[in-house]
Amino acid sequence: MDEVANKIIEILKKHMKEPRDDIDMSTPLTDLKIESLDLAMIVFDIEDSFQIEIPYNANEEVEDFKTVGSVVDRVKSLIAGGPAAAGAAKA
Amino acid sequence: MVRADGLRRVVVTGMGVTTPIGLDVEEFWASLKAGRCGVGRIENFPLEDLYIHIAGEIRGFDPSVHVKSKQIQYGERYSWFAGRAADEAWTMSGLPRPYANPYRSCCIIGSGAGGYSTVESAYRSLFIENKRATHPLTLLRIIGSSASAHVGIEYGIKGPTFGTCSACSTATHAIGVTLDYIRNGIVDVGVAGASEAVLTYGSMRTWQAMRVLSPEGCYPFSKKRNGTVLAEGAGILVLEELEHARRRGAPILAEVLGFGMSSDSKDMVNPDIDGPRMAMQFALDNASIDPSEVDYLNAHGTATKLNDVNETNAIKMVFGDYAKKLAISSTKSMHGHLLGAGGGVEAVACIKAINEGFVPPTIGLEEPDPDCDLDYVPNVGREKKVRYAMSNSFAFGGLNAVLVFGPAPA
Repeated sequence: MDEVANKIIEILKKHMKEPRDDIDMSTPLTDLKIESLDLAMIVFDIEDSFQIEIPYNANEEVEDFKTVGSVVDRVKSLIAGGPAAAGAAKA
Repeated sequence: MVRADGLRRVVVTGMGVTTPIGLDVEEFWASLKAGRCGVGRIENFPLEDLYIHIAGEIRGFDPSVHVKSKQIQYGERYSWFAGRAADEAWTMSGLPRPYANPYRSCCIIGSGAGGYSTVESAYRSLFIENKRATHPLTLLRIIGSSASAHVGIEYGIKGPTFGTCSACSTATHAIGVTLDYIRNGIVDVGVAGASEAVLTYGSMRTWQAMRVLSPEGCYPFSKKRNGTVLAEGAGILVLEELEHARRRGAPILAEVLGFGMSSDSKDMVNPDIDGPRMAMQFALDNASIDPSEVDYLNAHGTATKLNDVNETNAIKMVFGDYAKKLAISSTKSMHGHLLGAGGGVEAVACIKAINEGFVPPTIGLEEPDPDCDLDYVPNVGREKKVRYAMSNSFAFGGLNAVLVFGPAPA
């Protein structure tokens, strides 16, 4: 796994009540026993770590937050796009 | 005249609102009847980099016009809203100014957040603009008890005076506490409710960070709902002991029959079903009525994914088979979420529903969430005889408060 994936898994583990070591790209977030406020804190930490903005609404089921891999992909695309892409995603 | 439990009976003799859909009860009620929405694009402050662009704002509020008291004009925006609503309620009640028996009256007006806009502007001037000092009234504007103190001064109230603070249940707790003070003979008259004015850039950023706001609108119980919409304003009642009101020939608008409180004691954001269920049950028990006697329920109905399904399930547990026949609406679909003040304006909606025989709708409800399968009075209000009405308030932290109103005693 690359640096972005490792960092995101580290953030996820930090917010899990019972951190585990078998998390990989295919792990669904629902398996991690993460609740809505935890996810808001995870998104905040990810935004802070990578200096990006992720348009996330706790009221919606979003494909980007299905698995660990989908979060990693979304973060990578936001990093690659820079602030402009992140800004466009907000609208 | 006392209740079966020996407690004194309490009635509503005045009410007032300051809301995005009406600066007085008459305009507010006309908007609720017409299904008018007060949510729109934010105009009162620059959006800067916010990605949530909507709120239920009160536009064109001029304290020099809308607030009579000079002292309150110098106060915070949240105190302005409280001052305006309280003035309407006190005037409607016909009580003298100052109140003749000051230690027999109370003023309990809460706020979820107090003077938020003052905190923000003061810190901006200190930390960004490097100003020499903050405005001398900054502290008095910020404190969450200033609305109750201001209003108490206006009417010469010298009994219990303080603010409640329980997020979205603040006003309902204030009304419930006042009810108990009057029932138990501590006071005869009380001003009760809450005010909220948190529509600022910094506040919007804190809500955005929680990821619970909708970028599109407040659509309770709807399939398309995707979060709540913040709003501002105040809702205030004048409560009075029944015989006290009768002796002076006061207009009696309704009776406050029941109050129930509970705490989920579980999670700060994820609601539990037992807390809301017990609060509703306690309120019904306290009102000594059967669930099937409730004709209208003003739901908490925030339009978040979690609340609306949980509230629906809790209603089913309390009301059983009758839940399907109960007329339920979330007027937040029109006035937005006034946070601490929500229970105050929603209490007024319940009392008007009883007085006018009309149930306000839940607008924006073209297609309900399959998990929300009760009668939410979709889109269009309806004529209906309402004898008993219930108002639900469920707050962050799992703090639940429920009121039951009934008609003016014969």
